[in-house]
Amino acid sequence: MRLVRSVVPPVVVGVVALLGWELTVRIGRIAPFVLPEPSAIWTELAHERANVWDAALTTGLNALIGLLAGALAAVLLAMVASRVPALAEVSVPFAAVLNCLPIIALAPILYNMFEATSNVPRRLVAAIIVFFPVFVNTLRGLREVNPTHRELMHSYAAGGWTFARLVRLPGALPFVFTGLRQASSLAVIAAVVAEYFGGLQDGLGARITSAAALTAYPRAWAYVVGACALGLVFYLTTLLLERISMPWRARQSA
Amino acid sequence: MSELASAPSGPAGAVSVQGVSKVFNAGRPDEVVALSDVDLTVERGQFVSLIGPSGCGKSTLLRLVGDLLPPSAGSITVSGKPAGKARRDQEYGIAFQQAGLFDWRTVRRNVALPLELRGTDRAARNARVDEMLALVGLSDFAGHYPAQLSGGMQQRVAIARALAVHPNLLLMDEPFGALDEMTRERLQGELLRICAAMGTSTVFVTHSISEAVFLSDRVVVMSPRPGRITTIVDVAFPERDETTRQSVLFFDAVTAVRKALREGVPA
Repeated sequence: MRLVRSVVPPVVVGVVALLGWELTVRIGRIAPFVLPEPSAIWTELAHERANVWDAALTTGLNALIGLLAGALAAVLLAMVASRVPALAEVSVPFAAVLNCLPIIALAPILYNMFEATSNVPRRLVAAIIVFFPVFVNTLRGLREVNPTHRELMHSYAAGGWTFARLVRLPGALPFVFTGLRQASSLAVIAAVVAEYFGGLQDGLGARITSAAALTAYPRAWAYVVGACALGLVFYLTTLLLERISMPWRARQSA
Repeated sequence: MSELASAPSGPAGAVSVQGVSKVFNAGRPDEVVALSDVDLTVERGQFVSLIGPSGCGKSTLLRLVGDLLPPSAGSITVSGKPAGKARRDQEYGIAFQQAGLFDWRTVRRNVALPLELRGTDRAARNARVDEMLALVGLSDFAGHYPAQLSGGMQQRVAIARALAVHPNLLLMDEPFGALDEMTRERLQGELLRICAAMGTSTVFVTHSISEAVFLSDRVVVMSPRPGRITTIVDVAFPERDETTRQSVLFFDAVTAVRKALREGVPA
């Protein structure tokens, strides 16, 4: 029943919005070459599904590798920074600067740094984008230790590593996942957008630009739908992982 | 089993505090003398409460006994050992006002934690956890997570955890302070039963006069600025149960403690 109540309203709103869109274009309020109607996009998506799928796999793999590398680096560096207070003070503004770095400025430079056939630049862009939210959230989680837990572990004469393993890391897990949830969709966006600026032309971003350049707008939109679905898959997978790795939260309200 | 058996503590008693002072921020403008020249002995099996107004150093004294803070002067022994060695040997169990359970561990694994850190093997650990959970009446909740329990149940888990290594000494810092009156009185009764069953000595910090009197063999009355012991009220009841709370002896002891508290604070 709860599932029905949480699923039905957004579905209804979505269907109504799509119908409104379709009608607006059909009636001629917006020219189809400016905004194609959903049925045209759908037709194109069905026609191009094999290409969309291949492009989504390529972009998805880039986003996944970037996400994993960026998140791993962020968690490891946050662990180091949480143990060295001076480093933590320095690292937050540094990470903020990194976050302000526009990938627009970065992608063309990275493409020049690597071979034309290299996947590394796109993945690097995704990793850099992912780094910030994961690092900041993880660091906050690692530094927030319940004072009672601290005294308790001290009374057990637990060493630094034992303390990190048993208290700091599991305590930081909800924070890590807050960062990962943001990072998961960001990774896909980064992997798509990075392709706008050159490099290999086999992903969703490159297909969107080339379709748009040929004024094949329904096809461009079909790839946009693919990118949207890919982002959703990343986000939902992260949510699922969060559920699985923190069973104590899922059962809280039981 | 042998590694879990509590070592004999010798004739020194459970706790001996001699000439202990504690100064925070020494030499700075915000210097605070938290404790000044405190002597206290807790005999084996005794239940001793520390009571006094905020700032009298009762929690500080408890932390000094547990070697969670170093004293500025004086010496402390627990089970005949220096406090630091006693801590490293897990000679005491401790419980705080916040239950301080680990959200990500089930009740069973929370209670098992001190045993894990001791390197107790799994079978012995499970047996001991079962024993402790039975003692606090939570056997049916071993697989639950702390967030699924009420505040009183969480505090019982914390007590089970504190006693899991069968320590000679139990240190408690206002463990029932955050609970409602009904739960509080029920847990007081349970705590007495558990301590009696295990022969544990207890140092119990509270700011409730009735709680101190009901639980304790001795009530140590402290006063602030600087923190010191003003009076020790010995309490002896033939029995401690719900009728004790209505007895004349109980009210006499409450009056004695209240009077001592009033005298300790300069008007």
